[in-house]
Amino acid sequence: MALSLPPGLTPPEIAFLCEMELVTIIPRQRLEGVELLAGPIRPLHPPHRSNIPLWLALLLKRQRRANILPPPWLNTHSLTAILDHETEHAETFSPPPRLPPQPSSNTLPTSPPFLPHSTADAAPDALPYHWLELGEMLLEAASDDFEEADNVRKLLRGLREVRMAKLRSGVEVLDAGGGFKMNGVGGIEVGEGRAFITGVIDGLRKIAASREQQRKDRDQEELENGYSGTANYDDDEMDMQ
Amino acid sequence: MDIDDLLAEVAVDAIPQETRDLHELTRCWVAERVSPEILPWPSELVDRVLERIRKQIELVEDQTGNMDPKTSFKLIIIQTELERFKFLVRSFLRARIKKIDTYPLHIKALHNTSLDTPFPLLSPSELQYLTSHQALLSNHYSSSFLSQFPASLQRLDDTAGGISMVDRPDEDKAVFVRALRDVGEIFVEGTDRRFEMKRGDVWVVRWSAVKRWCVGCGTGDVELI
Repeated sequence: MALSLPPGLTPPEIAFLCEMELVTIIPRQRLEGVELLAGPIRPLHPPHRSNIPLWLALLLKRQRRANILPPPWLNTHSLTAILDHETEHAETFSPPPRLPPQPSSNTLPTSPPFLPHSTADAAPDALPYHWLELGEMLLEAASDDFEEADNVRKLLRGLREVRMAKLRSGVEVLDAGGGFKMNGVGGIEVGEGRAFITGVIDGLRKIAASREQQRKDRDQEELENGYSGTANYDDDEMDMQ
Repeated sequence: MDIDDLLAEVAVDAIPQETRDLHELTRCWVAERVSPEILPWPSELVDRVLERIRKQIELVEDQTGNMDPKTSFKLIIIQTELERFKFLVRSFLRARIKKIDTYPLHIKALHNTSLDTPFPLLSPSELQYLTSHQALLSNHYSSSFLSQFPASLQRLDDTAGGISMVDRPDEDKAVFVRALRDVGEIFVEGTDRRFEMKRGDVWVVRWSAVKRWCVGCGTGDVELI
């Protein structure tokens, strides 16, 4: 049975991804260790903190077996600072959290949602990749674990507005031909912007397709004739103007 | 290499294989959902995951009768996780089948050329699905109308006249990618664009320009998001 969804992740799928993020909990009950498909969960002993995936934390929270410790970036103080940064720099998103040191070359580096960007010892000054999804989910399921849940909610709204405006305002940069950089973008923002952004880029590419093909052919020819590609590169640009 | 690197290396080795498989499967799923082309079949990974899922199902079946509240809550956790894994595998497979259905002849040709490499494009069951589905379809077409056409017009993979009948995906489609390691300079063919891609960068770029670095079909320095 083929999948009937268009390419790109849907919001529920992004939420599913976000539920793999690690969060810190304070268990209220003892729980034996469990051997899961994704590796073992260590035994929970109250009041010792433990880092577990969000889906499990939500399950425990709903049954009042644990309290969730909101990540350090998800409070009024940090969010206000980040919001200020976002409004001051109208062109770019606020920088993502610092990456952990690079692992050795033969292992695959980890990336969100598996980086500990939302545990209790995450960086307080940067929004991780799944910031909005995680914030919303925690506010919905564990609002009593926040100090000022309503203000946090308000700030998240504000951040979302500012960042969505940035996402929408950048239509001119989409004509970049090759590609453009979007550091600091969030998971749900990629999901929402994908159809529009890739649609515009692909459309513009098709309009310019014949010119590109000419250029490609010329580059190919030059390569075959033994010209060095870079020496001729400047002349090409002059021709285009 | 400084102390941080050494520590990171130890930390990576300390991650159990199961957890690394989840990371890899998640990445494969996202890549398959997003990329315009079908990616090589990760046979070892899927075999490992399916084997574990099978064992876990057996465990759940064994323990379902247990009325002890502690065990039954453990069982709830195990089952929730099991469902999450099953969803991942299922969605991954369905995304692949969709591509097989859309570009059957193109994918068949690609698969045949990929047989010489260590990573075939399709799994044995996907290939079987593709061949029997195509056989059914072409039989149906020829018995219902194609047989009445002139012989020169009966082919389904005609390339005469400069236009190929074989549908292929748009390889220049824009995709969102994240660099897992420093990639270096990327050059987009046919345009003046050249840029540096550094570790942690998120780019919107043509699939054809980054394909050879992507997780699943290239060096693994770049992942699709």
